[in-house]
Amino acid sequence: MNANNRALKIASLRGVMDVLPLSLAVLPWGILFGSLAVQRGFSWLEAQLFSGVIFGGAVQIVTVELIADNSSLLTVMFTAFVISSRHLLYGLSLRERLSPKPLRWRLGLGFLLTDELFALSGHRRAYMSKLRLYYGLAAGGSFYLAWNLWTFVGIVAGAWLPDLTDLGLDFAIAATFIALVVPGIKSLATLAAVITAAVASVFFTLWHFELGLIAAALLAMAVGYTVSKIRDSVVGGR
Amino acid sequence: MTLLTILLLACITFGTRYLFLEGRLPVRLGPNLRLLLSYSGPSVLAAILAPILFVRSDQLYLSVSNPYLWGAAVAVAAAYKTGNIYWTIGAGMLVFIAAGQLI
Repeated sequence: MNANNRALKIASLRGVMDVLPLSLAVLPWGILFGSLAVQRGFSWLEAQLFSGVIFGGAVQIVTVELIADNSSLLTVMFTAFVISSRHLLYGLSLRERLSPKPLRWRLGLGFLLTDELFALSGHRRAYMSKLRLYYGLAAGGSFYLAWNLWTFVGIVAGAWLPDLTDLGLDFAIAATFIALVVPGIKSLATLAAVITAAVASVFFTLWHFELGLIAAALLAMAVGYTVSKIRDSVVGGR
Repeated sequence: MTLLTILLLACITFGTRYLFLEGRLPVRLGPNLRLLLSYSGPSVLAAILAPILFVRSDQLYLSVSNPYLWGAAVAVAAAYKTGNIYWTIGAGMLVFIAAGQLI
């Protein structure tokens, strides 16, 4: 029993440590969001609630601007859905491992399933054991605390900070995602998918295609799939 | 009113994350769909990442004076060489900031 608890503690600690660089990398975005919300006329409680219950990066920043501009509720909701739609893919990818788990695990990990937690869920046996569930919970939970802490700092410091939106802070996010993507490129198929996603996403952004992110991702997945199938058939045909 | 909007938004973000974790949803994943989904992680991350680097004020920013590209090039090299997240972010940020100052 004691050894069991110790193992859970170690697994949890590893989760916290593995997500730590990501928790730190979103510091600029958290501060940016907190100060932006206050500058756009939201109370500090409302600003904190955004991070506390919505718990998304881009979706919070975009919807705060939309609400401040008096956009219709429907526009706000639809935009939020479009930005969040990539999470449907995450759920689908983890469905086989997580759907048989008890409700409390599904609710907890579902709530915490951000880009960052999904990036740490790539292991072949992720969430397959109790230890791996605790690992995910600790990673996701500590990331949640960090995001809310950075938001709070932004709310408090927002009054004294200049407009942060144009300081190039978004590079921290870019560098983090490079660190997550590049070491995972171990096959031609993955490389093809990554390049397709990057090129398509840039063009869709330039064309103001609202579903561009998810469309680029789906296209890239199709390319990865096709390359993998072609390579399999070439190897199989020899 | 704002409070209600925030709660509705929370339902959307949670809904998209939770939906397919629900076992009662009648969706079965065959081997082909699973292979397709195995590319979702890198694809989504690359799709979020690329416009940050290449698009500035609605324009394609392919230029040696774009500090994002310098930072990203070094970050990619560091990620490839070390596979370490701290080295990647550290080296990338350093070059990004230096390039921003020099250019």
